Amino acid sequence: MPVEKSQRLLNLVIGLSSTRHRLTRDQIRDTIEGYEPLPYGASDEERRKAEQSFERMFERDKKELRELGVPIETVEDPVHGDEIGYRIRPAEAAMPALDLTAAELAVVSIATDYWRGAVLGGDAQRTVMKLASSAEHGPRVELPFAALPSVASEAFGTLVEAVADRQTVRFEYSSVSSGAGTRTIDPWRVVLRAGIAYVIGFDRDREAPRTFRIQRIGGKVRTVGDTGAYAIPKDIPLGALAESEDVSTARVAVRPESGHALRRRGTPAGVEDGWDLYDVAYAHGDSLVAEVLALAGGARIVEPKTLADAVVRAATAALEVEHG
Amino acid sequence: MAEHATDRLVRMLGILTYVERHGDTPFSELAEHFGVTVAQVQADINALWVASEPGDSWSPIDFSSEAYDEDVASLVRNDGVTQVRLSPREAVALVGALSTMGAAGALPEAGAQLLAKLRDALAEPVTVVGDDQVGAEVREPLVSAIDRYRRVEVEYVDAMDRRSTRIVDPHRLVVIDGHAYLECFCRRAQDYRVLRLDRIASATVLDGAIEHAPTDSAGFSLTPAFRATVRVGRAGRYAVEDMPGVAIEDADDDVVATFDVVDAAWAAGRLLSVAPQLRSVEPKRLADALRRQATAVLDVQR
Repeated sequence: MPVEKSQRLLNLVIGLSSTRHRLTRDQIRDTIEGYEPLPYGASDEERRKAEQSFERMFERDKKELRELGVPIETVEDPVHGDEIGYRIRPAEAAMPALDLTAAELAVVSIATDYWRGAVLGGDAQRTVMKLASSAEHGPRVELPFAALPSVASEAFGTLVEAVADRQTVRFEYSSVSSGAGTRTIDPWRVVLRAGIAYVIGFDRDREAPRTFRIQRIGGKVRTVGDTGAYAIPKDIPLGALAESEDVSTARVAVRPESGHALRRRGTPAGVEDGWDLYDVAYAHGDSLVAEVLALAGGARIVEPKTLADAVVRAATAALEVEHG
Repeated sequence: MAEHATDRLVRMLGILTYVERHGDTPFSELAEHFGVTVAQVQADINALWVASEPGDSWSPIDFSSEAYDEDVASLVRNDGVTQVRLSPREAVALVGALSTMGAAGALPEAGAQLLAKLRDALAEPVTVVGDDQVGAEVREPLVSAIDRYRRVEVEYVDAMDRRSTRIVDPHRLVVIDGHAYLECFCRRAQDYRVLRLDRIASATVLDGAIEHAPTDSAGFSLTPAFRATVRVGRAGRYAVEDMPGVAIEDADDDVVATFDVVDAAWAAGRLLSVAPQLRSVEPKRLADALRRQATAVLDVQR
């Protein structure tokens, strides 16, 4: 009777964890239950076929276990020629004891919903099972919280793995400032900000750290070269993603009963012709201009003049847009 | 058998680790804890039992057969087999979602403890930057009211900058795409509503109990009124890429975005900021709203 795949994977994990030194492919094929040993006295043709089918099966098993987080190491041994061997270090593979409460496990389920249907959905679901092994059993905890699916592209998953593997990536990217083009980067870190995903890395062509918005990546992210190809610096520059410091102050006039967000952020600066004046700190002029425009006459910029002009320019341009 | 082999492997290792940590465990408890049938628990234990080391000479895992006959998992021997750690993708998925809920202001207390435990155990796998400013003075009364089934009075500033005071039956805090919302029944509208947490200026717990229970069907939904198509220069792409249900295609030096519009005035307000890059706006309803807003702006800003 053929051995079920989950059983074979379990035997492979046990075998690679318990070996003193390493197991070669031949040893794996011949001693781990679930793989077919080479038939004794087989013809060359039969041997070749059996070897090919083992190779395919073992490569797939190895890939799936690595995706699961099992660190399968490649061990080369000069004494035994060029043959490659494999092993798992149990201490590195084990889940740390987290001792979760039933309520904490309930939060894990809520958090995994955040990725449902997205590329990390399957990974998130598996965390519930993995963490359940380390959680107390208790009555089901109902929490009045929920998370709803976020959009994450396949590119996001690939970049997360590339960061973990220290592997260079290449992708097509369109940016506001420099148009579309191919970028080659050493990814350092994935950053989430208000539901939007970014990757920070070292841009090989520009020879400087850069931040990329993952949504602007077109097509596939391809890995380039070997794993472990670079080191990730200890302090990663968050740049514009960090909570930006307010650098300038604008005076804004707000119509009574409107501009509540501006009122909350600003400092009152008197009244003028029935409009309330506020001094509002801002980091990016563009976003303050956008905010005032969106209020549709509920606010205007008193100074600086550059921002007031930008408001007029945008509104004037809007009157000239074609419509269908 | 639709189950993926790796999912079953993870559960088998989970059952093994759980029994090792908690001692003898009835099959029924394992079934409940791991969300499967008792028959599946038995099958998983049988599979662990027959697991073998290379050469088939030694079984690293042994259960008591007497206990098994009484539907209890009792571990006699486990030679170092254990649940595997989180993969990089799993760690990012979990820590990312929890931190996003935290940054949005809707992470339950148990979630903060969980996050602290995970951060101790894993190297920080992802950076999450907070953006929404939801103060404890808003979040805490809401959570307390939800827990105690009390009504709350909220002061709310909507996306169109209209300020209102409403009495609501609060149900749940929901995080979607990085922002937190309150699902509730609004007495004034006599309907279920979703209020964005960072637009709630204040919240006061009232004495009265809630009268409208949460419903599964009336949860989070924003019904789009129509779909719009906008052509904008690449430099203005940022203004459309967060629109609901957006699809963006490159077209020479421009992009063409189609997206859902719930409120034409709100969408027009967003488009105004990139008006110099706008090439065309459809349908007429949205173009008219854009024109109206622009005129209103020019009336006050000269």
